[in-house]
Amino acid sequence: MKIAIWGNELTAWATAGALAETGNEVLFVSHGQIKDPITLMGSSICNEPGLRDLICEEFECKRIRLVQTRTAIGIPTHILSMKPDEYEQAEEIVSKLAARHDGPLLIINQSHFGVGATDRLQTLLNKCKHQCVAYFAENVSEGEALNRIRNPKSLIIGCDHEQSTLAIQSLFRPFMTHVEHMFVMSPKEAEFTKLSIIGMLALRIGYANELANLASQLDVDIDVIRRGMGADPRIGRHHLFPGCGFGGNTFPQILNSLARLLSETGDSTLMQTVVQENEKQKELPFRSLWRHFDCDLHGRKIAIWGASFKPGSASLDGAPSLKIIDAIVAQQADARVHDPEALENVQYLYPDNSFVKVINNKYDALKDVDALLLLTEWPEYWSPDFELMKKQMKTPLIIDGRNVFSRKQIEGLGFTYYSVGR
Amino acid sequence: MTLTDKQSWQALRKHAVKIGNLHLSELLADDAKRFQSMNLCVDNLLLDYSKQRITKKTIGLLCDLARECELSRWIEQLFRGDKVNHSEGRAALHMALRLPAERELKFEGDNIVSDVHLTLSRMKTIVERIHARQWRGYSGLPVDTIVNIGVGGSDLGPFMARRALIDDRRPEAKQLKIYFVSSMDGSQIAARLGTLNPATTLFIISSKSFTTIDTLSNANTALQWLRQASGAKDEVLYRRHFIGVSANASKMEAWGIPPNSRLHLWNWIGGRYSMWSAIGLPIALEVGMHNFHRMLAGAHAMDEHFRNTGFEKNLPVMLAMIGIWNINFLNIRAHAILPYDGRLSHLPSYLEQLEMESNGKSVSRDGEEIDYNTCPILWGEIGPNAQHAFYQLLHQGTESVMCDFVVSARRYTRDSAELQQQHTLTLANCLAQSRILALGDIASGNGTDTPYFKRYRGNRPSTTILLDELTPYSFGQLIALYEHKVFVQSVIWNINPFDQWGVELGKAMATELLKPLSSSDDRPDFDSSTSGLLQSIRERQSGKS
Repeated sequence: MKIAIWGNELTAWATAGALAETGNEVLFVSHGQIKDPITLMGSSICNEPGLRDLICEEFECKRIRLVQTRTAIGIPTHILSMKPDEYEQAEEIVSKLAARHDGPLLIINQSHFGVGATDRLQTLLNKCKHQCVAYFAENVSEGEALNRIRNPKSLIIGCDHEQSTLAIQSLFRPFMTHVEHMFVMSPKEAEFTKLSIIGMLALRIGYANELANLASQLDVDIDVIRRGMGADPRIGRHHLFPGCGFGGNTFPQILNSLARLLSETGDSTLMQTVVQENEKQKELPFRSLWRHFDCDLHGRKIAIWGASFKPGSASLDGAPSLKIIDAIVAQQADARVHDPEALENVQYLYPDNSFVKVINNKYDALKDVDALLLLTEWPEYWSPDFELMKKQMKTPLIIDGRNVFSRKQIEGLGFTYYSVGR
Repeated sequence: MTLTDKQSWQALRKHAVKIGNLHLSELLADDAKRFQSMNLCVDNLLLDYSKQRITKKTIGLLCDLARECELSRWIEQLFRGDKVNHSEGRAALHMALRLPAERELKFEGDNIVSDVHLTLSRMKTIVERIHARQWRGYSGLPVDTIVNIGVGGSDLGPFMARRALIDDRRPEAKQLKIYFVSSMDGSQIAARLGTLNPATTLFIISSKSFTTIDTLSNANTALQWLRQASGAKDEVLYRRHFIGVSANASKMEAWGIPPNSRLHLWNWIGGRYSMWSAIGLPIALEVGMHNFHRMLAGAHAMDEHFRNTGFEKNLPVMLAMIGIWNINFLNIRAHAILPYDGRLSHLPSYLEQLEMESNGKSVSRDGEEIDYNTCPILWGEIGPNAQHAFYQLLHQGTESVMCDFVVSARRYTRDSAELQQQHTLTLANCLAQSRILALGDIASGNGTDTPYFKRYRGNRPSTTILLDELTPYSFGQLIALYEHKVFVQSVIWNINPFDQWGVELGKAMATELLKPLSSSDDRPDFDSSTSGLLQSIRERQSGKS
């Protein structure tokens, strides 16, 4: 099938790659002069595991092509994978399609424009001519985008139009091997479901963090509490790991739109509180550091392991590391940052800041430092050479924002150790 | 020669007898262009004195008086940094706080403009750090609450200005809560602390001398509150939860404020002239340093105007001399400040201190008891609210009161039609009141057949200060206008406006009374009334009564 994809998000590229490899002809809409998909993707999307190779391959055999708007407008099947703030552009695209086509149209919207947006786009089309906008709840997550598209556990389709539903199902049939649940509902319900899932996950993480902060005050171990809670079948184990806050691009954006929706229409501040507390939680490792040094960090050297908002991603969107680097720099202390993927982006954000140094070797980053803050749980941090670390560091102080290490082991090695709720 | 013997004073007295009986309605009727000849403007700030009981001749005679009192020489001495505050041997150089960085002013060998700008840049660092949410308390959380502890000049100016400039608040300041605590009895601070999070609260301790008991006792209560809540070391609390603003570095040090958290004042600024200095930190926290500099620029523009303009075109001089006319020649002993703008709600209490603490004196610079009136009783309220309170007295009471109306032409220009309509209504009320005060019954067409209780005598003088709109710049102009007005009047009255000996004895006496209040040791030399009250308080405290 010929499909046009609009947007330049990770979801757009991952969808393009997955659809192309299953035999579709993908027209990727690009307005500029860039002819090379790698440049167009940008470094943070490019670093997504497996994506770069896949796109290059499919580009080579011309199953993905970069096209201008006027070419894309001519075909009847479209996917909108745009940023949450690009709704107006989406309207423009749909209007252009309406003007151009007299027969059937299928537009699959997987952007987060908010509840009711798909229906609003539908009003621009003529339903009698089988022109339909459907909502497809994407499940892409940075670091495992392709896997999420190729092997979804559940599919949520928001579509009122029978033929279009069938068309969507056949488009995504190659990925349905592991699907346990598939739901077809109205677009508005599907949008709301997606929002509710994100909200629920955030609530669980937020709650786990609140409990962890309380646990450290009451001198109990949150790991024990978490295991006990997770064993209750009504609760389950997932999304109960405390840490120094969640970041990312799409997740917080959707969460914010849910928080806004709740406060505007329901006068509820629940989600707003979750968002605010999460921002506070991002600075938790800094606060441990601050108190350890009696509220004076002037002139100290602090190592940071992990800058990206999650392992497997180079993205710094909403990453706790940014808040912590800012806080360290504001105290006129040095931040020595290591990250397996994100250093280029860190350098880009702090181009001429003499307080921020990016260091390619994680042990070099520890040279003469007063403390190490571990902020992203990259696999390579889980079992480091502790003896070498101690040798490098001026003060053997580890602040573990992701509860990666075992407290007993670390303290046994002679480190001072702070973690989240343990 | 005393003031009343001066030729120009005598001339004014004769003139007052001659025109004193003229009604404002006649003065206004006689000259259709009266407004044109009786208003002055600096940078869009307009001073209208056409509703004063004066003629063109009065203005000439008042300027003669100013000349005979050597006002120009005094203005030069003030600006030069002479010790115009002779009883304390100090200069009064608040104008130096508003000089641009490139200017120079030598005082006792130092260029104080560079000192001033050094402190301004330190203020900037503090403001930016707090706005960036990087001023952190003992827990590491950013400070989001500021409590200014100060009294008098360390309270009224910032308190008023912050309210006045609310529309110019920085977006970063919206997440910042700023409170003021001044009262000695602890009721303000106790109520306030109950609502605050100690981990995120920063106290500004503002006291020029850093000995003010009101302020220090509130500061000690704050410190104790932090100690109890935090369990942190005192050193951490002093460093992260207090900023000291004072001219007395050693007292700040003795109290515990570390050098990096101190902002300096100088002895050449009076407390009630100090909101332009680091005492204005709460203002800067609210509106940002850019707007703080705009406020200074507005005041500086008024300084330059005051120093360089002939008396008849000089706003502070005219405002002051009209006051002299009303007080000393028309025998008016009360002055109402009536802002028609809720943002200026604290202007009256600010001016109460500025005017009454400066010029509430009855001994001349030469130490002579004086035989003419000086500063009148001054009070005020937001005009539209006062209309429902004391305007009755203004219109129909026995006491003649001179009024200052303050209002801006433009407001809510980017807001809803309803708000703009509210502003129009406010302007209408302002103009209506000054018109009725001046014209009385004539304004409404009331005739002799109107019942006596509905009659308005009119002939109440008023000045209207019209701002283009209330901005940091125009606000700076407005306050500097009153500061210089106060100085001009002090020159005419030959009194020192920069000391306040009348408030000192009370502080000393309070210290003497602390002991008998806390023990039964009653000193016999208290008067019968005070002894009786002491006795009654003790009885009630011990539950004997």
